[in-house]
Amino acid sequence: MYCVRKVTEDLYWVGANDRRLTLFENIHPIPRGVSYNSYLLLDKKTVLFDTVDWSAGRQFIENVEAVLAGRKLDYLVINHMEPDHGASIEEIILRYPEVKIISTEKAFLFMRQFGFSIDGRIEEVKEGDTRCFGKHTVTFVAAPMVHWPEAMVTFDTTNGVLFAADAFGSFGSLDGKLFNDEVNFDRDWIDDARRYYTNIVGKYGPQVQALLKKAGGIDIKMICPLHGPVWRTDLGYFLDKYDKWSRYEPEETGVMIAYASMYGNTEAAANSLATALVERGMTNVVMYDVSKTHVSQLISETFRLSHIVLASVTYNLGIYPVMHNYLMDMKALNLQKRTVAIIENGSWACKSGSLMRDFLENNMKQMTVLDEKVTLSSAMREDNLDEIGALADSIIESMKNK
Amino acid sequence: MFFKTTEQQEALRARIREFAETEVKPLTFLMDKENMFPTEPIKKFGEMGLMGIPYPEEYGGAGLDILSYAIAVEELARVDGGTGVILSAHVSLGSWPIFAYGTEEQKQKYLVPLAKGEKIGAFGLTEPNAGSDAGGTETTAVLEGDHYILNGEKIFITNADKADTYVIFAVTTPDIGVRGISAFIVEKGWEGFTFGDHYDKMGIRSSSTAQLLFNNVKVPKENLLGKEGEGFKIAMSTLDGGRIGIAAQALGIAQGAYEHALEYAKEREQFGKPIAQQQIISFKLADMATKLRAARFLVYSAAELKEHHEPYGMESAMAKQYASDVCLEIVNDALQIFGGNGYLKGMEVERAYRDAKICTIYEGTNEIQRVVIASHIIGKMPKTESGTPVRKRGPVTGARKKMIFKDGTAQDQVNALVEALKGDGYDFTVGIDIDTPITKAERVVSAGKGIGEEKNMELIRALAVQAGAAVGSSRPVAETLKYVPLNRYVGMSGQKFNGNLYIACGISGAGQHLKGIKDAATIVAINNNPNAPIFKNADYGIVGDLMEILPLLTAALDNGEPKQPAPPMKKMKRFVPKKAAPSYKTYVCNGCGYEYDPAVGDEEGDIRPGTLFKDLPEEWICPDCGEEKDMFIEVEA
Repeated sequence: MYCVRKVTEDLYWVGANDRRLTLFENIHPIPRGVSYNSYLLLDKKTVLFDTVDWSAGRQFIENVEAVLAGRKLDYLVINHMEPDHGASIEEIILRYPEVKIISTEKAFLFMRQFGFSIDGRIEEVKEGDTRCFGKHTVTFVAAPMVHWPEAMVTFDTTNGVLFAADAFGSFGSLDGKLFNDEVNFDRDWIDDARRYYTNIVGKYGPQVQALLKKAGGIDIKMICPLHGPVWRTDLGYFLDKYDKWSRYEPEETGVMIAYASMYGNTEAAANSLATALVERGMTNVVMYDVSKTHVSQLISETFRLSHIVLASVTYNLGIYPVMHNYLMDMKALNLQKRTVAIIENGSWACKSGSLMRDFLENNMKQMTVLDEKVTLSSAMREDNLDEIGALADSIIESMKNK
Repeated sequence: MFFKTTEQQEALRARIREFAETEVKPLTFLMDKENMFPTEPIKKFGEMGLMGIPYPEEYGGAGLDILSYAIAVEELARVDGGTGVILSAHVSLGSWPIFAYGTEEQKQKYLVPLAKGEKIGAFGLTEPNAGSDAGGTETTAVLEGDHYILNGEKIFITNADKADTYVIFAVTTPDIGVRGISAFIVEKGWEGFTFGDHYDKMGIRSSSTAQLLFNNVKVPKENLLGKEGEGFKIAMSTLDGGRIGIAAQALGIAQGAYEHALEYAKEREQFGKPIAQQQIISFKLADMATKLRAARFLVYSAAELKEHHEPYGMESAMAKQYASDVCLEIVNDALQIFGGNGYLKGMEVERAYRDAKICTIYEGTNEIQRVVIASHIIGKMPKTESGTPVRKRGPVTGARKKMIFKDGTAQDQVNALVEALKGDGYDFTVGIDIDTPITKAERVVSAGKGIGEEKNMELIRALAVQAGAAVGSSRPVAETLKYVPLNRYVGMSGQKFNGNLYIACGISGAGQHLKGIKDAATIVAINNNPNAPIFKNADYGIVGDLMEILPLLTAALDNGEPKQPAPPMKKMKRFVPKKAAPSYKTYVCNGCGYEYDPAVGDEEGDIRPGTLFKDLPEEWICPDCGEEKDMFIEVEA
């Protein structure tokens, strides 16, 4: 049975929700599921914008057929060729053999690599090219490395709709609510939207900045991303988040304490520091056990907050593996411009602190590591309290300098 | 081809020789003895229009050729090697970069008074960690608005502090090596530009040589010489020409020594005849004359090549290397001919013997000259270290402020130190017992061998009481001198100091000692040797005599009351250098996200570290995905 929604005049959402998938890209947990958005424009010509993952293919085809209501499909615009959006291209071609595919040179290269039979039905477009489908005229805008090289976004100059590819997307299934003004985004969605952006697109801040600059020059009325809600009000809210994230600026002044503790002794120091911070008036403090928190969540929180405390035991003369993985992911995602404090623990050769400092200073960009650190020999003792206090003071002090 | 100087050149030689004989020669003994600069003779030389011999008349020069300039240096050096290098450093190093790379405004403002001899020029390239290898340059120039802010030090600078105009090399783009160096014109007297040590040299003692110190010196943007990043090129081409000056200086020193030896050999009689008629001496003189002639032709021909705008880099290196090498041989033989008389102070050959040595060292050691010559005939040697640039090693004790109090009297310096310590939060109304174990002490006053006699330890103990500190020492003071028990020496093998304030008195700063204090919050160094490693590892320092500084510091910390017991130690904040974004831009590939970092280069694409993105060849492609250069976008900080 089809399940579609009208987006605006002539335009319909024909995507699908996926609540059975556990790991997005087989790596990021999505307990709230995810939506694959596809949009169908009914003009003089019929135009489908992107498709869905193969797992949602059946629902998708039913939706497309229902909205077309017997009309043939003239065009398929592929903004982004990653399989969660491109996997159903083959099925569309089989069902609508006369369809022309509009996309970029690189996207066609990828389609061939993925094994789709597209020869004879492609129309290659470049930055600034336009197409008129009757009432609606669209412009194509290249969006390289947001977050794949072939990506583009398509802007409908007639009604101000931006088909934004993976930009402005979010984890989370739609549950019937399609628009941002139908949900409490800042309460229920922002964490998943941030986790989506920072883990999927995070590395490509400079390219997102380039895209935002281009977007600044056009009058966008509505943003139709490939995942999550459609934006038709308060666009500035989300654009501002994107601007911050892509410049690697924190959203909030606050402290994230990420701790790696084997028997609770390092955790005790982390607790003590959190308490010291709150007692000094800094209440925006969160704590995460890196062994129990998925790294995508750690990354997301690291992008959100200005200050990070890394508390780690020494393990095989190195950084605790889960903590190390988190650091590697931070570097891979190009995270920068954070102030970091270190708590280290070791029972016979405490190395984790100096190794973490070295990684932050030499492998990452513009990370400020506070000089004060707390070194535990196995467990917190009374005399470590002064060091915890000094570390808290130093963190508070460094917030003033910002 | 007729290997002979022109009449005009020889007339100039005669004019300068007369000047040197009458104006310089009478002063040479005194100048050598007293390290005295020939201020008056140089002024007169300028008035004769000879401080800008090779520069066009429109820029205040004499409009003569390079060979005439070489003759001038030769003739001055013939009488006094130090006076010769004053002219060489002024013309070749201080003036030439402005002549060759300056804008019209810069030439009018700076070259004209230099060429007229109204001002003296100098050249600042050498640093403690950048001698033959300019890539180690640590002086920085950071553009802030309309000014570059210059910080750092230069050492062994000829004509400092007599010179008025300095061409200074500083890093404007850090981390990319020599291509990040730029040249600036800096005037004496600008705020923050001071002079450090005057060197007590072996020879050329009439020339002034000093250290240049730049502390936040504001250099107007328009004083950038050439473009940013051209500094290394400017320095190297300047030195190409400078070598002719040094070669001429070596030639002159050798010529003078030879003439004295020849004259002496004709007069001195042994075994019934002048020693010049003894075959062994006559052969020496013959060899000296031959070497002189060979050196002279090398020098003059390099000068002529330069004059006629032909390549002369290799030839000037050959001239400098050969003339200075044979100069050492000639002055050695000349002194030998003088025998015991030549070994006495006041003898010209004795001075020439000492003056000569510098010529094989400065403006490119003769080893470097051979590198230059070899690179011309063989081609550049392959880089031994391709790929990653060498990571600089910081001080053993980590990042330190390295503030040396130099202004004013010793009392002023001590006051400034105490002020700085109080500013950091040190409370000198409280203190600990001077016998507190080092590992438990919040503050330690430590004595090194510089303390001298054992009775001087009283000064250390007095200071420790007023500083609220325990007494410590370096290893030799405990182990060899036994001034304190063995458990009071600080170092890797001794006690580690983890407290706040460490005052090192007369400690030079051996590596093992420094490792023992690397966790100190604040390190203060007091030492009479400004080059002691401790100063590079300290937050604050005073260069001075312990006997003078320690009592002053003790008095300054004395509040007239017994120290209150110190509260439990709270670790003080250490100095943290600001972590800045790199000054150069990185670029990311729109085909894959690869980031091009100039500090790393691209080994696969044969791009050396230090190559800015804009300097990548057009045919360069992304090493990860093969996209072309125009697919890259700039990363905005």
